Amino acid sequence: MRTNMILLVEDNPDDEALTLRALKKNNILNEVIVARDGAEALDFLFGTGSYTGRDLGIMPEVILLDINLPKINGLEVLGKIRATERTRLLPVVILTTSNEEQDKLKSYTLGANSFIRKPVDFQQFSEAIRQLGVYWLLLNQAPPLVKG
Amino acid sequence: MGPETQGFVSPPRHHYWKITLVALAVTCAVAGGLYYLARLYVINEAERNIEAVLLAHKGMHRYIQEVMHPAFYKLKAEGMVAEKFYAPEILSSSFIVRNQHKAYNEERKAAGLEEVYYKMAAFNPRNPVNKADAMEEKLIRMFNENKELKNYREIVRIDGKDYLYVALPFLVNKPKCLKCHGDREDAPLGLQLLYPGQGGFNEKVGDIRAIESIRAPMEQQYFVIYILFASSFAGLLVLAGLLFFNTRLRDMVRVRTQALAQEVVERRRAEEEVRRANEELEDRVEERTAQIAAANKELDSFAYSVSHDLRAPLRGIDGFSLALLEDYGERLDETAKDYISRVRAGCLRMGDLIDDMLQLSRLSRGEIHRQEVDLSAMASEIAGELQRGAPQRRVVFEITPGITVAGDVILLRAVLDNLLGNAWKFTAKTEGARITFGRQEEGGKEVLFVRDNGAGFDMAYANKLFGAFQRLHSTQEFEGTGIGLATVQRIIHRHGGSIRAEGAVGRGATFYFSV
Repeated sequence: MRTNMILLVEDNPDDEALTLRALKKNNILNEVIVARDGAEALDFLFGTGSYTGRDLGIMPEVILLDINLPKINGLEVLGKIRATERTRLLPVVILTTSNEEQDKLKSYTLGANSFIRKPVDFQQFSEAIRQLGVYWLLLNQAPPLVKG
Repeated sequence: MGPETQGFVSPPRHHYWKITLVALAVTCAVAGGLYYLARLYVINEAERNIEAVLLAHKGMHRYIQEVMHPAFYKLKAEGMVAEKFYAPEILSSSFIVRNQHKAYNEERKAAGLEEVYYKMAAFNPRNPVNKADAMEEKLIRMFNENKELKNYREIVRIDGKDYLYVALPFLVNKPKCLKCHGDREDAPLGLQLLYPGQGGFNEKVGDIRAIESIRAPMEQQYFVIYILFASSFAGLLVLAGLLFFNTRLRDMVRVRTQALAQEVVERRRAEEEVRRANEELEDRVEERTAQIAAANKELDSFAYSVSHDLRAPLRGIDGFSLALLEDYGERLDETAKDYISRVRAGCLRMGDLIDDMLQLSRLSRGEIHRQEVDLSAMASEIAGELQRGAPQRRVVFEITPGITVAGDVILLRAVLDNLLGNAWKFTAKTEGARITFGRQEEGGKEVLFVRDNGAGFDMAYANKLFGAFQRLHSTQEFEGTGIGLATVQRIIHRHGGSIRAEGAVGRGATFYFSV
């Protein structure tokens, strides 16, 4: 079932608030699930931990994934998503402060669909979120759901 | 230090006296042998001398008895000589031979030779000169007792000179001999008259009446020995010298060889030490490399966390400042709004500083991948980008074509980005702006330069240009973080090149660099 849901994986509450604000300001009103670390994100996607029993037929339209995360970092999360049959086709946008070549290289190698660097300037950040929303939620045709 | 490395090796002296002893022994043996041979030769010579003399005498005797006497007796028988005639000069062969020998000796003397003693010695001679001495008497008795004995030989020493003495039995009395040597009464009257005593009479048939006693000098022949001695001694001396020299040489070679061996050992040890030092160095280099790698890794993670952790709060500050402005703007007066915009400007600048700092640290790390880079093409590309970024500006670019260097294309791009970007930036307020990229010779080396006719700088601060975060202009005048030239210098240095700047306030700047 498609709900146009967004999974935001972000440990920084400020960034979380700013991202949500940017989404709201750009009239992107889709449901946003926030996971505060990599483990929580994986729990949500695989229906484990606090998400045990969740309907796994519902998957996010796009995953906004930070790299620098507590417990399990973003790249590991990406690796697990791509390694799991049910989640391997989900669009994953790396949304990070990092500008490191290594991070870009690893992200794309692991199968990220996009790599966005969060600008310091909120106006620019907001614009980036707007474009993300337009592209991934409106323009982009999501892959068919994979039955688990 | 081991035993093989002790200082000098002294030549063993005992060898020399051993050699001397051997040389002496050999000399003595050879000399003895030579002396013996020479003596044999000399004795042989003397014997032959004596033999020659005796043969001459024998011949004389035979002539007297076989030729002269028969002729004389024939004359006597024919009555040509008085019956009682007797003259020893004609009738006594021993007289004739003795006097002949006397004359012979006189001739020898005249010829510079030593005399050969000769005597017809008898027990009872007619002439007292023929009287045997004690030794000769003994020999006569000896020959009479042993008729088989044909000669006696002895080397005698008289007045310090050696002589070969030889005695031979003269005649065994025959019946015809007794005509003159038998009873006195039977002898010719002339003879009886001439020799009144019993000398020369009363001989018996079968007896040996006399011996020939002869003594030949050997002294002159010794000359040969002297020569032989001298030459053999000289030869031996030469041999001994050679032997000595040879031994010395061998000793020297041994000493040198030992010294060389010692040197080889020392060289080997030195080599070993060098090798060990090298190994230690290698170990240390490895250790340091590991440390540096670790430090680099730490720096990497530091830079990484800087990029993340310093920027994230900035984004918060900026974002919430903006949120404040947007959501509560109507409740704020202009001053408050100005403050908020200043906060936001500070955030953005801080973000730029962090980004530039990260770029500087990133460019300073990592390996340099050298390849042929066409800097002219790269400069043209950058010029185009700059022009597109601000199409309203009129700037003349002069780019010398065909400038290529060997270097890292990404890093060199950063160099030109910064230098041309600076030139572009600092000519913003210049009429007829002109930016040149070219090359020139300096002390036989090719130097590249980027020149502009922009704001320039005071040469007094030239050394500050390349420091990180050093700025010669306010951000109001020209924006920037002050990282660019520090980055450029670091890249140039990492390529093994150098960079310097020349300029004057209001008259542009030139950056000279080599890669």
